[in-house]
Amino acid sequence: MAATSRPKATRALALSPLEGFVLALLLLLLAMVAAGPILAPDTVYTSDIVNALQPPSAEHWLGTDDQGRDVFWRVVVGARATLLSALLVVTLYSMIGVAVATIAAAGPRWLDETLMRITDLGMALPSMIVALGLAAALGASLQSAIIAMSLTGWPITARILRAVIRQTSEAQFVSGAQVLGVSKWRLMTRHVLPNSLDVLIVKWASDVSTTVLVLAGLSFIGVGAQPPSAEWGAMIAAGRSYVATAWWTVVAPGVAVAVTSIAFGLLGDIIQVRNDPSLREA
Amino acid sequence: MSMARLDLRSPVDTSGPTPAAGRPLLTARGLTVDMQLPGKKSVRIVDGLDFDIRAGERVALVGESGSGKSVTARALMRLDRKARLSGELTFDGVDLQRLSEREMNRYRGGTIGMVFQDPMSFLDPLMTIGDQVAETLRIRGVGRHQARRRALATLDELGVDRAAERLDSYPHEFSGGMRQRVVLAMAIVAEPKLLIADEPTTALDVRVQEQVLDVLDDVSRRRGLAVLFITHDLGVVAGFTDRVIVMYSGRIVEDAAVDDIFAAPQHPYTQGLIQAVPRIDRVSERLFAIPGAPPPIFARPEGCAFHPRCGQKFAPCALRQPALEPSGAGRVACHLYSSSER
Repeated sequence: MAATSRPKATRALALSPLEGFVLALLLLLLAMVAAGPILAPDTVYTSDIVNALQPPSAEHWLGTDDQGRDVFWRVVVGARATLLSALLVVTLYSMIGVAVATIAAAGPRWLDETLMRITDLGMALPSMIVALGLAAALGASLQSAIIAMSLTGWPITARILRAVIRQTSEAQFVSGAQVLGVSKWRLMTRHVLPNSLDVLIVKWASDVSTTVLVLAGLSFIGVGAQPPSAEWGAMIAAGRSYVATAWWTVVAPGVAVAVTSIAFGLLGDIIQVRNDPSLREA
Repeated sequence: MSMARLDLRSPVDTSGPTPAAGRPLLTARGLTVDMQLPGKKSVRIVDGLDFDIRAGERVALVGESGSGKSVTARALMRLDRKARLSGELTFDGVDLQRLSEREMNRYRGGTIGMVFQDPMSFLDPLMTIGDQVAETLRIRGVGRHQARRRALATLDELGVDRAAERLDSYPHEFSGGMRQRVVLAMAIVAEPKLLIADEPTTALDVRVQEQVLDVLDDVSRRRGLAVLFITHDLGVVAGFTDRVIVMYSGRIVEDAAVDDIFAAPQHPYTQGLIQAVPRIDRVSERLFAIPGAPPPIFARPEGCAFHPRCGQKFAPCALRQPALEPSGAGRVACHLYSSSER
């Protein structure tokens, strides 16, 4: 059996050049998150004013910032703050979104209506502005930014999932289980929800992409991670005043943000195409 | 979970000796189903059905698409939220219309099992076969291991090969016939007293159809399980059931023992249905078909709903609806047999 299915399996696993590139980028990011702080020299957090704003050289591949810290290693170390925060934010608000959609679908009609109107309200408000206000109110820090974004990010997830749940509920196996006496709540959590979550996989990947951007944005504005920490948005903010004389202090973390965001965005596209053969080129 | 909830059956005590064959299990009197259609007034889909199903009895509910047979079946389980039931509907002395949704859930799958047409879409694609069959028991408080053991026993009983190895397989790994057996196992694992089978073999090919019917025949005989078989296939009816109820446009037009239905159909509609069955023992140029089509449910003709298509209609047919009255060995709703019209 293994022998006959092998050719098909290899074809499914074969990576296109783009997929290979994205996978390599993601592995690189993963390596930075995992090993960055271990490999980095101790000096990433200590200032060395004498060597401030040095251009890229053999010693400092991406130069140094206004405190004389190595920009390359700060970018590497910063991956952990940015990426883990983004993953945490997406996980948290996805959980809220899934809970809201499930409760709306399983609960009585008035609850469904109420929750979905609140969702509409949440979608109508620009989440970055709300997150900005909330983070500022909680006191500017990376934690505040994470909490604020988790509390504002869920409406789209809830809205999409509610629609998919409505569709999945029509499936015959749902009425099949209903006929056996399965209660509405169990029907929802054991049968409908597991068969609806796949739509979120694509969304998760592209959500990480936007969250990296917004998180860096909040830090840049000053309500997220605070200056001494090696977070990409905060690094851009710190380097802003020197952009004319020391471009590397801004460009390096900026490119890191862009590349990370693009990599996760493409990951979403790739998952979508792989899941839907009709989108795949012949 | 708790030992106190090990009683898997209905709230009604069934621990005594099996009910004497012949006692009515399910009774419907004047059972009517009105359905609210979007933008329209409510429509009467099923109109005043009177019938009994006895313990262990196998009854076929026959009719064209749109005759209301599936709606009737779903009404017995109170499955349609938009349907309004009226009339009397009792199961083993319990008024099903007065049960709360929670109590009804104990009936569904526990006391009355049901299988549908398409076994492919009836199974949850993300749940293993074993878990799905066991779920009927698990929701009734049976422990994990016991539920699994009973699921396995039921699958074995229904002739699923190597059931023990395949408990952890997913539905897509099974063939159509095997899937229908799994669906059947889900419906009977909690030992219901009545099984409602809504065209369970229609989606299967003929050979598999026969196997599934054999299995169903076996298990209903062994367990004394009453079966309400909903179908439009008279061939299936002939081989499997004791009694046939023929429906037309939401009403019962004839109810008789299976042999009588085939040997001496009374209602012109039943006669037409039987004539329309293709036969290999007779040479014929073309198949017989009843002329015309069933009336739309929201525009039934006056009088007998069948009269515009009937070859034997006479004066009263267009005026009065015939009542379902005893005639011969069964019951028929037709002015030809009505005492008041002769």
